[in-house]
Amino acid sequence: MAKKKAKKPPSSSASLVWMAFTTIASLIGGGGVTGWLKPDMPVLGPGVAALGSSLGSSLGFTGSTESTAALATGPATARAAVPAERLAAAPTPAPPLASIAYAPAAAALRPVTAMPSASPPPPAGPLPAGPPAAPAQAVLSAPPTAKPSDAVLIASFNIQVFGEAKLAKPQVVDVLARVVRTFDIVAIQEVRAKSDSVIPTFVAAVNADGSRYHHVIGPRQGRTVSKEQYTFIYDTNRIEIDPTSVGSMRDPADRLHRPPMYARFRVRTSPPELGFSFWMIDTHTDPDEVPQEVDALADVFTVIRSARPDEDDVILLGDLNAGPPQFGRIKQIPGVAWAISGVTTNTRRTKTYDNLIFDRTATGEYTGRWGVVDLQNTFGLSIDKALEVSDHNPVWAAFSPWELRPPLQAATAPRDASR
Amino acid sequence: MSEPSTPEIRALTDQLAAADVEQRAAAAERLAQAGESAAGAAPQLVRACGDDDERVREWAVAALEDLGPPSRAAIDPLIKLATDPDPLAAYWAITLLGRSGQDASSAVTVLTTCVESSSADPSVRQRAAWALGQIGPAAAAARAALERAAGQQDPRLARLATEALAAIGS
Repeated sequence: MAKKKAKKPPSSSASLVWMAFTTIASLIGGGGVTGWLKPDMPVLGPGVAALGSSLGSSLGFTGSTESTAALATGPATARAAVPAERLAAAPTPAPPLASIAYAPAAAALRPVTAMPSASPPPPAGPLPAGPPAAPAQAVLSAPPTAKPSDAVLIASFNIQVFGEAKLAKPQVVDVLARVVRTFDIVAIQEVRAKSDSVIPTFVAAVNADGSRYHHVIGPRQGRTVSKEQYTFIYDTNRIEIDPTSVGSMRDPADRLHRPPMYARFRVRTSPPELGFSFWMIDTHTDPDEVPQEVDALADVFTVIRSARPDEDDVILLGDLNAGPPQFGRIKQIPGVAWAISGVTTNTRRTKTYDNLIFDRTATGEYTGRWGVVDLQNTFGLSIDKALEVSDHNPVWAAFSPWELRPPLQAATAPRDASR
Repeated sequence: MSEPSTPEIRALTDQLAAADVEQRAAAAERLAQAGESAAGAAPQLVRACGDDDERVREWAVAALEDLGPPSRAAIDPLIKLATDPDPLAAYWAITLLGRSGQDASSAVTVLTTCVESSSADPSVRQRAAWALGQIGPAAAAARAALERAAGQQDPRLARLATEALAAIGS
Protein backbone atom coordinates (compact mmCIF):
# COMPACT_ATOMS: atom_id res chain seq x y z
CA MET A 1 0.00 0.00 0.00
CA ALA A 2 1.03 3.56 -0.33
CA LYS A 3 3.21 4.77 2.43
CA LYS A 4 1.07 6.75 4.79
CA LYS A 5 1.61 10.23 5.97
CA ALA A 6 3.87 10.77 8.93
CA LYS A 7 2.18 9.76 12.13
CA LYS A 8 1.84 12.25 14.92
CA PRO A 9 2.88 11.31 18.42
CA PRO A 10 -0.11 10.27 20.52
CA SER A 11 -1.07 12.28 23.52
CA SER A 12 -0.89 10.50 26.82
CA SER A 13 -3.92 8.72 28.18
CA ALA A 14 -2.51 7.43 31.40
CA SER A 15 -5.81 6.61 32.99
CA LEU A 16 -6.71 4.12 30.30
CA VAL A 17 -5.12 0.86 29.38
CA TRP A 18 -6.31 0.03 25.95
CA MET A 19 -4.74 -3.27 25.02
CA ALA A 20 -6.40 -4.45 21.88
CA PHE A 21 -4.08 -2.63 19.60
CA THR A 22 -0.89 -3.86 21.10
CA THR A 23 -2.02 -7.27 19.98
CA ILE A 24 -2.95 -6.07 16.54
CA ALA A 25 0.32 -4.23 16.14
CA SER A 26 2.26 -7.31 17.09
CA LEU A 27 0.29 -9.40 14.63
CA ILE A 28 0.91 -7.00 11.84
CA GLY A 29 4.53 -6.60 12.65
CA GLY A 30 6.18 -3.81 10.77
CA GLY A 31 2.97 -2.55 9.37
CA GLY A 32 3.35 -3.97 5.94
CA VAL A 33 0.61 -4.78 3.54
CA THR A 34 -1.18 -7.65 5.14
CA GLY A 35 -4.66 -8.77 5.72
CA TRP A 36 -6.75 -7.06 3.09
CA LEU A 37 -9.69 -9.29 2.60
CA LYS A 38 -10.45 -10.55 -0.84
CA PRO A 39 -13.37 -8.44 -1.95
CA ASP A 40 -15.56 -11.39 -2.83
CA MET A 41 -15.19 -13.08 0.51
CA PRO A 42 -18.01 -12.38 2.90
CA VAL A 43 -17.25 -11.50 6.47
CA LEU A 44 -20.43 -12.17 8.31
CA GLY A 45 -21.50 -11.20 11.76
CA PRO A 46 -20.76 -14.40 13.63
CA GLY A 47 -17.51 -14.54 11.73
CA VAL A 48 -16.23 -11.58 13.69
CA ALA A 49 -16.45 -13.47 16.92
CA ALA A 50 -14.86 -16.47 15.30
CA LEU A 51 -12.17 -14.29 13.82
CA GLY A 52 -11.40 -12.97 17.25
CA SER A 53 -11.15 -16.41 18.71
CA SER A 54 -8.89 -17.55 15.92
CA LEU A 55 -6.54 -14.68 16.63
CA GLY A 56 -6.59 -15.25 20.33
CA SER A 57 -8.62 -13.93 23.18
CA SER A 58 -6.40 -10.90 23.58
CA LEU A 59 -8.28 -9.21 20.76
CA GLY A 60 -11.12 -8.76 23.16
CA PHE A 61 -13.98 -10.40 21.31
CA THR A 62 -16.66 -11.60 23.61
CA GLY A 63 -19.41 -12.62 21.21
CA SER A 64 -20.60 -16.14 20.82
CA THR A 65 -19.11 -18.35 18.20
CA GLU A 66 -21.26 -20.30 15.82
CA SER A 67 -20.82 -23.27 13.59
CA THR A 68 -18.71 -21.86 10.81
CA ALA A 69 -16.10 -22.98 8.39
CA ALA A 70 -12.72 -21.29 8.67
CA LEU A 71 -10.95 -20.18 5.55
CA ALA A 72 -7.57 -18.58 5.01
CA THR A 73 -7.73 -15.06 3.66
CA GLY A 74 -4.77 -14.75 1.41
CA PRO A 75 -1.37 -13.82 2.74
CA ALA A 76 -2.60 -12.80 6.17
CA THR A 77 -2.17 -15.19 9.03
CA ALA A 78 -5.65 -14.39 10.31
CA ARG A 79 -8.49 -16.64 9.33
CA ALA A 80 -11.98 -15.31 8.85
CA ALA A 81 -14.68 -17.81 9.58
CA VAL A 82 -17.73 -17.64 7.38
CA PRO A 83 -20.62 -19.98 6.78
CA ALA A 84 -19.75 -22.45 4.07
CA GLU A 85 -22.94 -21.89 2.15
CA ARG A 86 -22.18 -18.18 1.83
CA LEU A 87 -18.72 -18.93 0.52
CA ALA A 88 -20.17 -21.15 -2.13
CA ALA A 89 -22.50 -18.37 -3.15
CA ALA A 90 -19.84 -15.69 -3.20
CA PRO A 91 -20.12 -13.58 -6.33
CA THR A 92 -17.28 -12.98 -8.69
CA PRO A 93 -14.99 -10.11 -7.82
CA ALA A 94 -16.07 -6.71 -9.00
CA PRO A 95 -13.73 -4.38 -10.82
CA PRO A 96 -11.90 -1.88 -8.64
CA LEU A 97 -12.92 1.71 -8.28
CA ALA A 98 -10.74 3.13 -10.99
CA SER A 99 -12.42 1.08 -13.68
CA ILE A 100 -15.98 0.74 -12.48
CA ALA A 101 -18.81 2.60 -14.11
CA TYR A 102 -21.55 3.95 -11.91
CA ALA A 103 -24.82 3.56 -13.68
CA PRO A 104 -27.79 5.76 -12.87
CA ALA A 105 -29.55 2.58 -11.78
CA ALA A 106 -27.40 2.68 -8.70
CA ALA A 107 -29.30 5.73 -7.53
CA ALA A 108 -30.90 5.12 -4.20
CA LEU A 109 -31.99 8.47 -2.88
CA ARG A 110 -33.38 11.55 -4.43
CA PRO A 111 -31.72 14.65 -3.12
CA VAL A 112 -34.11 17.00 -1.43
CA THR A 113 -31.91 19.88 -2.35
CA ALA A 114 -28.46 20.26 -3.74
CA MET A 115 -25.70 18.91 -1.59
CA PRO A 116 -23.23 21.45 -0.30
CA SER A 117 -20.83 21.86 -3.16
CA ALA A 118 -17.26 20.71 -2.99
CA SER A 119 -14.99 23.33 -1.59
CA PRO A 120 -11.30 23.68 -0.86
CA PRO A 121 -10.34 21.97 2.37
CA PRO A 122 -10.76 24.33 5.28
CA PRO A 123 -7.98 24.76 7.80
CA ALA A 124 -7.72 22.50 10.79
CA GLY A 125 -10.36 22.92 13.42
CA PRO A 126 -14.12 22.84 13.34
CA LEU A 127 -15.47 22.83 9.85
CA PRO A 128 -17.80 25.51 8.64
CA ALA A 129 -21.46 24.82 9.14
CA GLY A 130 -22.32 25.18 5.51
CA PRO A 131 -23.19 28.33 3.65
CA PRO A 132 -24.12 30.77 6.39
CA ALA A 133 -26.83 32.48 4.39
CA ALA A 134 -28.43 29.27 3.21
CA PRO A 135 -31.62 27.95 4.74
CA ALA A 136 -31.40 24.81 6.83
CA GLN A 137 -32.56 22.67 3.94
CA ALA A 138 -29.41 23.48 2.06
CA VAL A 139 -27.47 21.21 4.36
CA LEU A 140 -30.21 18.73 5.19
CA SER A 141 -29.48 16.94 2.00
CA ALA A 142 -29.02 13.56 0.50
CA PRO A 143 -25.74 12.62 -1.13
CA PRO A 144 -25.50 12.33 -4.91
CA THR A 145 -28.03 10.12 -6.63
CA ALA A 146 -25.27 7.80 -7.79
CA LYS A 147 -22.06 7.02 -6.01
CA PRO A 148 -19.42 9.38 -7.32
CA SER A 149 -16.23 8.09 -8.89
CA ASP A 150 -14.20 10.82 -7.24
CA ALA A 151 -15.26 10.17 -3.65
CA VAL A 152 -16.27 7.53 -1.19
CA LEU A 153 -19.29 8.25 0.97
CA ILE A 154 -19.07 7.26 4.61
CA ALA A 155 -22.11 7.43 6.85
CA SER A 156 -23.25 6.91 10.41
CA PHE A 157 -26.77 5.83 11.19
CA ASN A 158 -28.35 5.11 14.57
CA ILE A 159 -31.21 2.79 13.67
CA GLN A 160 -33.27 2.87 16.84
CA VAL A 161 -33.90 -0.63 18.24
CA PHE A 162 -32.84 -2.38 15.05
CA GLY A 163 -34.22 -5.86 15.65
CA GLU A 164 -36.71 -8.39 14.39
CA ALA A 165 -39.70 -6.09 14.86
CA LYS A 166 -38.21 -3.47 12.57
CA LEU A 167 -37.24 -6.09 10.02
CA ALA A 168 -40.86 -7.22 9.94
CA LYS A 169 -41.91 -3.86 8.46
CA PRO A 170 -41.22 -4.00 4.71
CA GLN A 171 -41.61 -0.28 4.19
CA VAL A 172 -39.06 0.40 6.91
CA VAL A 173 -36.60 -2.12 5.51
CA ASP A 174 -37.01 -0.56 2.08
CA VAL A 175 -36.03 2.86 3.37
CA LEU A 176 -33.13 1.47 5.37
CA ALA A 177 -31.86 -0.50 2.39
CA ARG A 178 -32.05 2.51 0.12
CA VAL A 179 -30.11 4.54 2.64
CA VAL A 180 -27.36 1.92 2.87
CA ARG A 181 -27.08 1.57 -0.91
CA THR A 182 -26.36 5.27 -1.12
CA PHE A 183 -23.13 4.95 0.83
CA ASP A 184 -19.91 3.01 0.59
CA ILE A 185 -19.71 2.27 4.30
CA VAL A 186 -22.38 2.76 6.94
CA ALA A 187 -21.52 2.56 10.63
CA ILE A 188 -24.71 1.48 12.37
CA GLN A 189 -25.57 1.76 16.03
CA GLU A 190 -28.36 0.18 18.09
CA VAL A 191 -28.66 -3.31 16.69
CA ARG A 192 -30.77 -4.82 19.47
CA ALA A 193 -31.70 -8.42 18.96
CA LYS A 194 -31.16 -11.74 20.62
CA SER A 195 -31.02 -13.35 17.20
CA ASP A 196 -27.87 -13.21 15.08
CA SER A 197 -29.90 -13.19 11.88
CA VAL A 198 -31.07 -9.56 11.87
CA ILE A 199 -28.11 -8.00 10.09
CA PRO A 200 -27.51 -10.89 7.63
CA THR A 201 -31.18 -10.72 6.72
CA PHE A 202 -31.01 -6.97 6.32
CA VAL A 203 -27.86 -7.13 4.18
CA ALA A 204 -29.63 -9.65 1.97
CA ALA A 205 -32.39 -7.09 1.53
CA VAL A 206 -29.83 -4.43 0.66
CA ASN A 207 -28.34 -6.77 -1.94
CA ALA A 208 -31.70 -7.68 -3.43
CA ASP A 209 -31.03 -5.21 -6.23
CA GLY A 210 -27.72 -6.82 -7.13
CA SER A 211 -25.60 -4.79 -4.77
CA ARG A 212 -22.67 -6.49 -3.09
CA TYR A 213 -22.64 -5.29 0.47
CA HIS A 214 -21.09 -7.26 3.30
CA HIS A 215 -20.91 -6.56 6.98
CA VAL A 216 -18.96 -7.06 10.15
CA ILE A 217 -20.67 -6.92 13.50
CA GLY A 218 -19.42 -6.55 17.04
CA PRO A 219 -20.36 -8.29 20.26
CA ARG A 220 -23.39 -7.33 22.29
CA GLN A 221 -22.45 -4.42 24.52
CA GLY A 222 -24.06 -2.86 27.56
CA ARG A 223 -24.07 -2.98 31.33
CA THR A 224 -27.62 -4.27 31.66
CA VAL A 225 -29.44 -7.13 30.02
CA SER A 226 -30.44 -4.68 27.30
CA LYS A 227 -27.51 -4.89 24.87
CA GLU A 228 -26.60 -3.28 21.59
CA GLN A 229 -24.30 -4.19 18.75
CA TYR A 230 -22.38 -2.09 16.28
CA THR A 231 -22.06 -3.08 12.66
CA PHE A 232 -20.27 -1.81 9.60
CA ILE A 233 -22.00 -2.50 6.29
CA TYR A 234 -19.80 -1.83 3.27
CA ASP A 235 -19.97 -2.05 -0.50
CA THR A 236 -17.47 -4.65 -1.63
CA ASN A 237 -17.51 -3.21 -5.12
CA ARG A 238 -15.65 -0.21 -3.75
CA ILE A 239 -14.36 -1.09 -0.29
CA GLU A 240 -12.23 -3.86 1.18
CA ILE A 241 -11.67 -4.66 4.83
CA ASP A 242 -8.58 -5.72 6.74
CA PRO A 243 -9.87 -8.77 8.62
CA THR A 244 -7.05 -8.58 11.13
CA SER A 245 -8.26 -5.15 12.15
CA VAL A 246 -11.77 -5.80 13.38
CA GLY A 247 -12.54 -5.65 17.08
CA SER A 248 -13.97 -3.87 20.07
CA MET A 249 -12.10 -1.60 22.40
CA ARG A 250 -11.14 -3.16 25.68
CA ASP A 251 -12.12 -0.89 28.53
CA PRO A 252 -10.80 -2.25 31.81
CA ALA A 253 -11.79 0.88 33.71
CA ASP A 254 -15.33 0.56 32.39
CA ARG A 255 -15.57 4.14 31.18
CA LEU A 256 -17.79 3.42 28.22
CA HIS A 257 -21.23 1.84 28.39
CA ARG A 258 -20.79 0.36 24.93
CA PRO A 259 -17.10 0.14 24.04
CA PRO A 260 -16.64 1.19 20.42
CA MET A 261 -16.10 -1.20 17.55
CA TYR A 262 -13.26 -0.54 15.15
CA ALA A 263 -12.23 -1.82 11.75
CA ARG A 264 -9.83 -0.76 9.04
CA PHE A 265 -10.96 -0.31 5.48
CA ARG A 266 -9.42 0.59 2.15
CA VAL A 267 -10.96 1.93 -1.00
CA ARG A 268 -10.62 -0.46 -3.90
CA THR A 269 -8.57 1.29 -6.54
CA SER A 270 -6.35 0.29 -9.38
CA PRO A 271 -3.63 -0.13 -8.35
CA PRO A 272 -4.91 -1.18 -4.94
CA GLU A 273 -1.92 0.22 -3.05
CA LEU A 274 -3.04 3.76 -3.77
CA GLY A 275 -6.48 3.44 -2.22
CA PHE A 276 -7.44 5.56 0.77
CA SER A 277 -7.16 3.42 3.90
CA PHE A 278 -8.49 4.37 7.29
CA TRP A 279 -9.69 3.22 10.65
CA MET A 280 -13.33 3.60 11.53
CA ILE A 281 -14.57 3.71 15.12
CA ASP A 282 -18.28 3.15 15.64
CA THR A 283 -19.66 4.55 18.89
CA HIS A 284 -22.86 5.21 20.80
CA THR A 285 -22.48 7.05 24.07
CA ASP A 286 -24.59 6.70 27.20
CA PRO A 287 -26.84 9.78 27.26
CA ASP A 288 -26.50 10.03 31.04
CA GLU A 289 -22.70 10.13 31.05
CA VAL A 290 -21.89 12.13 27.95
CA PRO A 291 -19.05 14.32 29.28
CA GLN A 292 -17.17 11.36 30.72
CA GLU A 293 -17.70 9.17 27.66
CA VAL A 294 -16.77 11.89 25.20
CA ASP A 295 -13.49 12.35 27.06
CA ALA A 296 -12.90 8.60 26.96
CA LEU A 297 -13.52 8.68 23.21
CA ALA A 298 -10.71 11.20 22.88
CA ASP A 299 -8.44 8.51 24.32
CA VAL A 300 -9.92 5.91 21.98
CA PHE A 301 -9.18 8.13 19.01
CA THR A 302 -5.59 8.66 20.14
CA VAL A 303 -4.97 4.99 20.83
CA ILE A 304 -6.31 3.86 17.49
CA ARG A 305 -4.34 6.47 15.64
CA SER A 306 -1.17 5.08 17.16
CA ALA A 307 -2.07 1.42 16.58
CA ARG A 308 -0.19 1.10 13.31
CA PRO A 309 2.78 3.12 12.13
CA ASP A 310 1.47 3.10 8.59
CA GLU A 311 -2.06 4.30 9.29
CA ASP A 312 -2.89 7.75 10.54
CA ASP A 313 -6.40 8.17 9.19
CA VAL A 314 -9.04 7.66 11.86
CA ILE A 315 -12.73 8.40 11.48
CA LEU A 316 -14.66 8.32 14.75
CA LEU A 317 -18.36 8.34 13.99
CA GLY A 318 -21.67 7.55 15.57
CA ASP A 319 -24.27 8.81 17.99
CA LEU A 320 -22.39 10.85 20.55
CA ASN A 321 -25.48 12.26 22.24
CA ALA A 322 -23.55 15.50 22.04
CA GLY A 323 -22.96 18.31 19.62
CA PRO A 324 -19.65 20.04 18.98
CA PRO A 325 -19.97 22.35 22.03
CA GLN A 326 -19.99 19.22 24.22
CA PHE A 327 -17.01 17.52 22.57
CA GLY A 328 -14.79 18.10 25.62
CA ARG A 329 -11.31 16.61 25.28
CA ILE A 330 -11.99 15.55 21.72
CA LYS A 331 -11.60 19.19 20.81
CA GLN A 332 -8.14 19.18 22.35
CA ILE A 333 -6.82 16.62 19.87
CA PRO A 334 -4.53 18.58 17.54
CA GLY A 335 -6.09 19.04 14.13
CA VAL A 336 -9.40 17.47 15.06
CA ALA A 337 -12.46 18.47 13.08
CA TRP A 338 -15.99 17.23 12.62
CA ALA A 339 -18.14 17.08 9.55
CA ILE A 340 -21.57 17.88 10.98
CA SER A 341 -22.15 21.30 12.45
CA GLY A 342 -24.95 23.80 12.64
CA VAL A 343 -27.71 21.35 11.72
CA THR A 344 -29.81 18.85 13.60
CA THR A 345 -29.35 15.13 13.13
CA ASN A 346 -32.34 13.58 14.86
CA THR A 347 -35.55 12.88 13.03
CA ARG A 348 -37.46 15.44 15.07
CA ARG A 349 -34.86 18.06 14.10
CA THR A 350 -34.15 19.16 17.64
CA LYS A 351 -30.66 17.81 18.42
CA THR A 352 -27.21 17.48 16.87
CA TYR A 353 -26.15 14.11 18.20
CA ASP A 354 -24.47 12.32 15.28
CA ASN A 355 -21.17 13.16 13.67
CA LEU A 356 -17.99 12.09 11.92
CA ILE A 357 -14.78 13.18 13.64
CA PHE A 358 -11.26 13.02 12.22
CA ASP A 359 -7.91 14.76 12.24
CA ARG A 360 -8.21 17.31 9.49
CA THR A 361 -4.47 17.64 9.06
CA ALA A 362 -3.89 13.89 8.77
CA THR A 363 -7.01 13.07 6.81
CA GLY A 364 -6.57 15.43 3.92
CA GLU A 365 -8.71 13.00 1.95
CA TYR A 366 -11.80 14.71 3.34
CA THR A 367 -13.41 16.57 0.47
CA GLY A 368 -15.36 19.10 2.52
CA ARG A 369 -18.65 17.57 1.43
CA TRP A 370 -21.03 16.35 4.12
CA GLY A 371 -24.69 16.14 4.86
CA VAL A 372 -27.61 14.83 6.84
CA VAL A 373 -30.20 12.68 5.08
CA ASP A 374 -33.53 13.98 6.26
CA LEU A 375 -35.59 10.80 6.29
CA GLN A 376 -38.88 12.62 6.31
CA ASN A 377 -38.22 14.83 3.30
CA THR A 378 -36.01 12.48 1.33
CA PHE A 379 -38.51 9.64 1.35
CA GLY A 380 -41.69 11.70 1.55
CA LEU A 381 -42.65 10.31 4.94
CA SER A 382 -44.83 11.71 7.67
CA ILE A 383 -43.00 12.36 10.89
CA ASP A 384 -44.59 9.26 12.41
CA LYS A 385 -43.49 7.09 9.50
CA ALA A 386 -40.00 8.58 9.58
CA LEU A 387 -39.80 7.80 13.28
CA GLU A 388 -40.70 4.21 12.51
CA VAL A 389 -37.47 4.07 10.52
CA SER A 390 -35.40 5.71 13.27
CA ASP A 391 -35.27 8.62 15.64
CA HIS A 392 -31.96 9.60 14.01
CA ASN A 393 -31.18 10.72 10.48
CA PRO A 394 -28.10 9.32 8.72
CA VAL A 395 -25.11 11.66 8.60
CA TRP A 396 -22.34 11.40 6.04
CA ALA A 397 -19.12 12.83 4.68
CA ALA A 398 -17.21 12.35 1.43
CA PHE A 399 -13.54 11.43 1.15
CA SER A 400 -11.12 11.06 -1.73
CA PRO A 401 -10.67 7.46 -2.85
CA TRP A 402 -6.92 8.03 -3.13
CA GLU A 403 -4.50 7.94 -0.27
CA LEU A 404 -2.69 11.24 0.04
CA ARG A 405 1.04 11.01 0.29
CA PRO A 406 3.00 13.25 2.61
CA PRO A 407 4.13 16.44 0.90
CA LEU A 408 7.81 15.66 1.36
CA GLN A 409 7.45 12.22 -0.14
CA ALA A 410 5.46 13.51 -3.06
CA ALA A 411 8.05 16.18 -3.73
CA THR A 412 10.96 13.75 -3.72
CA ALA A 413 9.40 10.78 -5.49
CA PRO A 414 10.68 9.95 -8.97
CA ARG A 415 8.49 11.66 -11.47
CA ASP A 416 7.39 8.49 -13.24
CA ALA A 417 6.51 6.79 -9.98
CA SER A 418 3.64 9.12 -9.38
CA ARG A 419 1.96 8.40 -12.69
CA MET B 1 -39.20 18.91 34.75
CA SER B 2 -41.30 17.49 31.99
CA GLU B 3 -44.41 18.88 30.34
CA PRO B 4 -47.81 17.43 31.26
CA SER B 5 -48.75 14.35 29.27
CA THR B 6 -50.94 14.71 26.24
CA PRO B 7 -54.06 12.56 25.84
CA GLU B 8 -52.16 10.41 23.34
CA ILE B 9 -49.32 9.81 25.79
CA ARG B 10 -51.79 8.98 28.54
CA ALA B 11 -53.55 6.51 26.26
CA LEU B 12 -50.27 4.86 25.32
CA THR B 13 -49.29 4.74 28.98
CA ASP B 14 -52.48 2.84 29.77
CA GLN B 15 -51.85 0.59 26.80
CA LEU B 16 -48.52 -0.49 28.31
CA ALA B 17 -50.53 -2.50 30.84
CA ALA B 18 -52.73 -4.20 28.25
CA ALA B 19 -53.16 -7.95 28.46
CA ASP B 20 -52.38 -8.32 24.76
CA VAL B 21 -48.63 -8.34 24.16
CA GLU B 22 -48.98 -6.80 20.70
CA GLN B 23 -50.78 -3.86 22.27
CA ARG B 24 -48.03 -3.45 24.86
CA ALA B 25 -45.27 -3.68 22.26
CA ALA B 26 -46.98 -1.13 20.03
CA ALA B 27 -47.42 1.24 22.95
CA ALA B 28 -43.79 0.96 23.99
CA GLU B 29 -42.64 1.59 20.44
CA ARG B 30 -44.84 4.66 20.07
CA LEU B 31 -43.61 6.02 23.38
CA ALA B 32 -40.01 5.50 22.24
CA GLN B 33 -40.80 7.57 19.17
CA ALA B 34 -42.31 10.32 21.30
CA GLY B 35 -39.00 11.37 22.81
CA GLU B 36 -39.11 13.66 25.82
CA SER B 37 -42.84 14.19 25.48
CA ALA B 38 -43.30 10.68 26.89
CA ALA B 39 -41.84 11.72 30.24
CA GLY B 40 -45.21 11.37 31.93
CA ALA B 41 -45.06 7.64 31.27
CA ALA B 42 -41.80 7.19 33.17
CA PRO B 43 -42.94 4.82 35.96
CA GLN B 44 -44.95 2.69 33.57
CA LEU B 45 -42.02 2.45 31.15
CA VAL B 46 -39.78 1.38 34.02
CA ARG B 47 -42.24 -1.36 34.91
CA ALA B 48 -42.30 -2.39 31.25
CA CYS B 49 -38.59 -3.18 31.55
CA GLY B 50 -39.73 -6.28 33.40
CA ASP B 51 -42.18 -7.35 30.70
CA ASP B 52 -41.99 -10.95 29.52
CA ASP B 53 -41.79 -9.84 25.92
CA GLU B 54 -38.40 -8.75 24.55
CA ARG B 55 -39.90 -6.18 22.19
CA VAL B 56 -41.70 -4.45 25.02
CA ARG B 57 -38.53 -4.37 27.09
CA GLU B 58 -36.32 -3.05 24.30
CA TRP B 59 -38.73 -0.33 23.24
CA ALA B 60 -39.24 0.65 26.86
CA VAL B 61 -35.49 1.01 27.29
CA ALA B 62 -35.30 3.06 24.10
CA ALA B 63 -38.05 5.33 25.40
CA LEU B 64 -36.36 5.74 28.75
CA GLU B 65 -33.04 6.67 27.15
CA ASP B 66 -34.61 9.67 25.47
CA LEU B 67 -37.06 10.62 28.18
CA GLY B 68 -35.14 13.32 29.97
CA PRO B 69 -36.02 14.04 33.60
CA PRO B 70 -39.35 12.68 34.84
CA SER B 71 -42.15 14.73 36.35
CA ARG B 72 -42.11 15.43 40.10
CA ALA B 73 -45.19 13.28 40.44
CA ALA B 74 -43.12 10.35 39.22
CA ILE B 75 -40.50 10.60 41.97
CA ASP B 76 -42.33 8.53 44.59
CA PRO B 77 -43.26 5.70 42.20
CA LEU B 78 -39.69 5.65 40.96
CA ILE B 79 -38.36 5.42 44.53
CA LYS B 80 -40.44 2.28 44.97
CA LEU B 81 -39.17 0.87 41.68
CA ALA B 82 -35.53 1.52 42.62
CA THR B 83 -35.52 -1.70 44.64
CA ASP B 84 -37.48 -3.72 42.08
CA PRO B 85 -36.18 -7.29 41.89
CA ASP B 86 -35.78 -6.90 38.14
CA PRO B 87 -32.33 -5.30 37.73
CA LEU B 88 -33.28 -3.57 34.49
CA ALA B 89 -36.31 -1.92 36.08
CA ALA B 90 -34.28 -0.89 39.12
CA TYR B 91 -31.50 0.46 36.91
CA TRP B 92 -33.89 2.68 34.99
CA ALA B 93 -35.78 3.86 38.05
CA ILE B 94 -32.49 4.95 39.56
CA THR B 95 -31.38 6.56 36.33
CA LEU B 96 -34.52 8.67 36.21
CA LEU B 97 -34.08 9.67 39.84
CA GLY B 98 -30.57 10.79 38.98
CA ARG B 99 -31.85 12.85 36.06
CA SER B 100 -34.16 14.61 38.51
CA GLY B 101 -31.16 16.00 40.38
CA GLN B 102 -31.93 17.65 43.66
CA ASP B 103 -35.65 17.18 43.06
CA ALA B 104 -35.01 13.53 43.94
CA SER B 105 -33.52 14.32 47.35
CA SER B 106 -36.22 12.16 48.92
CA ALA B 107 -34.60 9.20 47.17
CA VAL B 108 -31.28 9.47 49.01
CA THR B 109 -32.11 6.76 51.53
CA VAL B 110 -33.14 4.17 48.97
CA LEU B 111 -30.25 5.06 46.69
CA THR B 112 -27.85 4.65 49.60
CA THR B 113 -29.31 1.23 50.25
CA CYS B 114 -28.76 0.32 46.61
CA VAL B 115 -25.12 1.40 46.72
CA GLU B 116 -24.53 -0.68 49.83
CA SER B 117 -26.34 -3.78 48.60
CA SER B 118 -23.68 -6.33 47.77
CA SER B 119 -26.36 -8.61 46.36
CA ALA B 120 -27.61 -6.03 43.91
CA ASP B 121 -26.65 -6.17 40.25
CA PRO B 122 -23.42 -4.21 39.67
CA SER B 123 -25.18 -1.96 37.18
CA VAL B 124 -27.72 -1.01 39.87
CA ARG B 125 -25.09 -0.22 42.50
CA GLN B 126 -23.08 1.83 40.01
CA ARG B 127 -26.08 3.78 38.82
CA ALA B 128 -27.14 4.50 42.39
CA ALA B 129 -23.73 6.02 43.10
CA TRP B 130 -24.08 8.10 39.96
CA ALA B 131 -27.58 9.23 40.94
CA LEU B 132 -26.42 10.38 44.36
CA GLY B 133 -23.83 12.51 42.65
CA GLN B 134 -26.53 14.03 40.46
CA ILE B 135 -28.56 14.94 43.53
CA GLY B 136 -25.50 16.72 44.88
CA PRO B 137 -25.24 18.34 48.31
CA ALA B 138 -28.74 17.16 49.22
CA ALA B 139 -27.31 13.63 49.25
CA ALA B 140 -24.89 14.38 52.08
CA ALA B 141 -26.39 11.58 54.17
CA ALA B 142 -24.97 9.10 51.68
CA ARG B 143 -21.39 10.23 52.23
CA ALA B 144 -20.30 7.33 54.41
CA ALA B 145 -21.76 4.74 52.05
CA LEU B 146 -20.12 6.41 49.11
CA GLU B 147 -16.77 6.48 50.88
CA ARG B 148 -17.02 2.75 51.36
CA ALA B 149 -18.06 2.29 47.73
CA ALA B 150 -15.09 4.38 46.62
CA GLY B 151 -12.86 1.69 48.06
CA GLN B 152 -14.55 -1.19 46.24
CA GLN B 153 -12.71 -3.27 43.66
CA ASP B 154 -15.33 -2.55 40.99
CA PRO B 155 -13.51 0.27 39.16
CA ARG B 156 -16.65 1.87 37.84
CA LEU B 157 -18.42 1.82 41.19
CA ALA B 158 -15.32 3.25 42.88
CA ARG B 159 -14.98 6.00 40.30
CA LEU B 160 -18.65 6.99 40.36
CA ALA B 161 -18.66 7.02 44.16
CA THR B 162 -15.61 9.25 44.17
CA GLU B 163 -17.25 11.59 41.68
CA ALA B 164 -20.43 11.62 43.74
CA LEU B 165 -18.50 12.55 46.87
CA ALA B 166 -16.96 15.44 44.99
CA ALA B 167 -20.39 16.58 43.81
CA ILE B 168 -21.84 16.37 47.31
CA GLY B 169 -18.97 18.31 48.81
CA SER B 170 -17.81 18.44 52.38
